[in-house]
Amino acid sequence: MYVFEYQRAKSVADAAAALAKTGGKALAGGQSLVGAMKLRLANPGTLVDIAGIAGLKGIKQEGAAVVIGAMSTHADVASSAVVKKAIPALAALAEGIGDRQVRNRGTIGGSLANNDPAADYPAAVLALGATVQTNKRKIAADEFFKGMYETALGADEIITAVSFPVPKKAAYVKFPNPASRFALVGVFVAQTQSGVRVAVTGAAAHVHRATAIENALAKSFTADAAKAVKIPADHLNTDLHGSAEYRAHLVSVLASRAVTAAG
Amino acid sequence: MTGESQYARFGSGKSVRRVEDQALLTGVGIFADDVSLPGQAYVCFLRSPYPHARVVAIDAAAAAAMSGVVAIVTGADLVAAGVKPLPLSIDFKRGDGSPTASPPRHALAVDTVRFVGEAIAAVIAQSAEEARDAAEAIDVRYDALPMVADLDDAVAAGAPLVWPAAMGNASAAAKAFDKAAHVVMLDLVNQRVAPCPIEPRAILASYDKTTGRITLRVSCQTPTGLRDALCAEVLGIANDKVRILVGDVGGGFGMKTGLYPEDVVLAFCARKLERPLKWCAERMEEFLAATHGRDVASKAELALDRSGRILALRVFSLANMGAFATPAGAVIQLMIGPWVSTSIYDIGTIDIRIKAILTNTAPTSAYRGAGRPEAIYIIERLMDAAARQTGIDQIELRRRNMIRPEQMPYSNAMDKTYDSGQFELVMNKATTLARWNGFDARQAEAQRRGRWRGRGMAAFLEWTGADVFDERVTVTVTSGEKNDGEIEIFSALQGMGQGLLTTFAQVIRIVQGDTDRGQGFGSAGSRSLFVGGSAVRVAADRTVAKAKVMAADEMEAAAADIEYRDGVFSIACTDRRIGLFELAHRQPEQRIVLDSTSSVAGPTWPNGCHICEVEIDPDTGAVELVGYWSVNDVGRVVNPMIVIGQLEGGAAQGIGQALCERFVYDRESGQALSATFLDYALPHAGMIEHFEMTMDESTPCLNNAMGVKGVGELGTIGATPAVVNAVMDALARGGRTEVRERAKALQMPLTSERVWRAIRG
Ligand SMILES: Cc1cc2nc3c(=O)[nH]c(=O)nc-3n(C[C@H](O)[C@H](O)[C@H](O)COP(=O)(O)OP(=O)(O)OC[C@H]3O[C@@H](n4cnc5c(N)ncnc54)[C@H](O)[C@@H]3O)c2cc1C
Repeated sequence: MYVFEYQRAKSVADAAAALAKTGGKALAGGQSLVGAMKLRLANPGTLVDIAGIAGLKGIKQEGAAVVIGAMSTHADVASSAVVKKAIPALAALAEGIGDRQVRNRGTIGGSLANNDPAADYPAAVLALGATVQTNKRKIAADEFFKGMYETALGADEIITAVSFPVPKKAAYVKFPNPASRFALVGVFVAQTQSGVRVAVTGAAAHVHRATAIENALAKSFTADAAKAVKIPADHLNTDLHGSAEYRAHLVSVLASRAVTAAG
Repeated sequence: MTGESQYARFGSGKSVRRVEDQALLTGVGIFADDVSLPGQAYVCFLRSPYPHARVVAIDAAAAAAMSGVVAIVTGADLVAAGVKPLPLSIDFKRGDGSPTASPPRHALAVDTVRFVGEAIAAVIAQSAEEARDAAEAIDVRYDALPMVADLDDAVAAGAPLVWPAAMGNASAAAKAFDKAAHVVMLDLVNQRVAPCPIEPRAILASYDKTTGRITLRVSCQTPTGLRDALCAEVLGIANDKVRILVGDVGGGFGMKTGLYPEDVVLAFCARKLERPLKWCAERMEEFLAATHGRDVASKAELALDRSGRILALRVFSLANMGAFATPAGAVIQLMIGPWVSTSIYDIGTIDIRIKAILTNTAPTSAYRGAGRPEAIYIIERLMDAAARQTGIDQIELRRRNMIRPEQMPYSNAMDKTYDSGQFELVMNKATTLARWNGFDARQAEAQRRGRWRGRGMAAFLEWTGADVFDERVTVTVTSGEKNDGEIEIFSALQGMGQGLLTTFAQVIRIVQGDTDRGQGFGSAGSRSLFVGGSAVRVAADRTVAKAKVMAADEMEAAAADIEYRDGVFSIACTDRRIGLFELAHRQPEQRIVLDSTSSVAGPTWPNGCHICEVEIDPDTGAVELVGYWSVNDVGRVVNPMIVIGQLEGGAAQGIGQALCERFVYDRESGQALSATFLDYALPHAGMIEHFEMTMDESTPCLNNAMGVKGVGELGTIGATPAVVNAVMDALARGGRTEVRERAKALQMPLTSERVWRAIRG
């Protein structure tokens, strides 16, 4: 690790000011950031710890949406009665992230801000058409994920909460990378109020919607319809753990399984 | 400890709980990195980013001026100070009698770097982070050289062979193949894996000016060997000028045997700077710069007659030594593996040829099983393929070829003598345990769930002992305050998580890991219990014999009338008695000391039959291990819980090699692609939850007094072929003929994509 300064923010405004002033980075659960620092892949200069800020935690139902505070841990979401009742697929997704230690520290805000190409939450946010709330604005899911580890967030912009519209039905199926247990491919299928949305993580540079499968499922919401869609491998990842062709194949298979799981 | 409970724990054959666990589980174990010395500085190694390059210039001026930097040392500095290269595998000769070839391995590279991760300079600073900051500031100019990371490329390019070995009788084998009714042929790759002990290597080095001695506290399996190589071969000083201390060791798996470049640098620099130095490897450093295991590609053939009797075995292999031929690396592939190549089968004719190849990759060396997993994988894959090809049932085929108990002692084609073994008995017990006959129903049920179920077997033996069969043990009985005291046994064996302390003697305070107190080969090759434990047992018997004479003196009786039981000496048929510690108390120095060296008659040949069942998801190619049963002949069992732990942990690593582990170098660039746990796939808990490991104790080893056989590597050796055979079986049952053909070409690890491709074409 390179030498860094550590500050504890008392409020969101406080944190934003500190980030603007120092050019540093927000520290949430540290499950991505600290690891990158230990490998000397990140050198933030100043860490602004947002863990102590009241109001970034908490999960509640607001009308037809579930609103999750940015500092809610994966374990909070997995065990939340509100989430389990309204969007069980989201609770199950959170339960499948990393291991117990990671789930007890890692946060939804951190996961989204990080936008790892193989992370799980981005698939839920995109498929459910969630809204990311920051200290400055509200960002629609379709506008949020910009590239590999890239989001619409500005340098001193802080995620405060994520609002998930409750879907009619939804399910997430993840095929874990055998080493990291992140998603080699993960597919989130949701029947929302505004139609079928399907988001894919792990397969490409960043989370994206599988429109071909969405169209097929709009016509017939069945496992077979999803499985029959042939996904082109063109823009998908090839690495040690799977070729683009294999990932493309998995997208259809997992989508069909998600349809079955959604019921 | 009170006398009572101590003696109660003597009982052999019981699952006594491990005495070392309380400390280890509560975090108060003492590993090498847990110890610090006043004034200690920290070492960081600058490592080569190139697989092969000439080092044109190293400019460390800016780095040396950085905050906290104490010194920067390069390979040239070591050479100038008379430090010699590390020992290599020099004992081998090529077929034509000329010596082996390997570049010299300097502790810090001189002029040329030969693999990504090779240390090129050491930075010593007040803190570990300052050392690392400075290492990043060193400016090295490299001239990249052509490199080769892949075995096939290495052979094609005509890269140097370390040693082409040939064993057996090529012309006899050729004749056998000519007249064979069936010839079974497989190309088999035993991929490179990283040992991954949970504790990385760590070193604390210090120098005592008054005595001129260097002390190294290390995480090592073989402290004496490390010391001797360091002193005699590299630093050119007397062995007693270095003391090696080893505390708790968080796993070794063979990776922590022998001398490493980092040991040399720390020892040299601590002496030069007269200052304690600490280094603890980071995980990525271990992936890059610690030794790897396996990495052998073989063309294997079996000749059989019409009835399925094996006429000959022929194996041509390429073994990747990495950038340097380490002492163990060559021995493992060129000697130890071939010793068990015919396994439990009566195969009189073999033709084995191995080419040891240098590549621009980290050196290979010992990894759990060391040579035997490769050999057993070959023969057990061939047996299943032969069964499929000849149509003879796989159990029947194995039975027809097994060495029978009445053939013991049996000399195999490599002239190695098995003392004992009842291989058919073990196989029969295993098939019963695994409910072999109920498989069809399980397969049908899986099919209803859309899964392809298969089963696989490995019936095999292995050799243990590291070929060092004597061990010195010192026993000291000391009296305490009251009627208690302590028995200390010192041996040079080294626990590394296997529970040696518990197994050796529950009553005894075992001291290990100090080359000033005792020297020996150390712990490797599953030798600790059968060599070391036997030595402890002999020493204990000798101590009792010696104490009987003392007791006879005390009680004014004849030694022959003294009986010893549970720590008490008594005169037969009387109530006169004296406790062991009381007896020690009455001695002039209030203790009883005995120094004992003893040896065992030869190696042990533990064996077993491992059976597993897998299910394949044909849509994704994912393989799930759904059942694992084994019967193991490890001779007499001292502590069943520990033996089962060894079998399960060993099997986990074997399963890892079969299904997910692989250390990969990019063929074009020579860069390591799997140097973190994000990319190096160790087996996880969900993959290893169905073990049913049992022991058959009916065949004690005849080469040692306790009748025990080694067990540390058995699970690893059996699991890999059992799992792969099961996947092959599932593919053969589930798929069409083309699937079966494609499956033949599958290589480990059997990742989901590879299996999916075999299914889909
Ligand atoms: C062993 C292991 C296994 C894992 N497995 C998985 C897995 O299976 N699936 C998966 O999806 N993830 C996995 N993760 C990642 C994990 O989910 C992390 O928790 C998550 O990626 C980051 O959340 P965090 O709270 O730890 O953020 P941090 O590491 O603290 O921060 C990450 C980044 O987000 C920024 N940030 C944090 N909070 C905010 C905010 N409120 N507003 C703006 N920016 C912010 C930080 O500045 C930093 O750049 C794993 C991690 C580990 C260590």
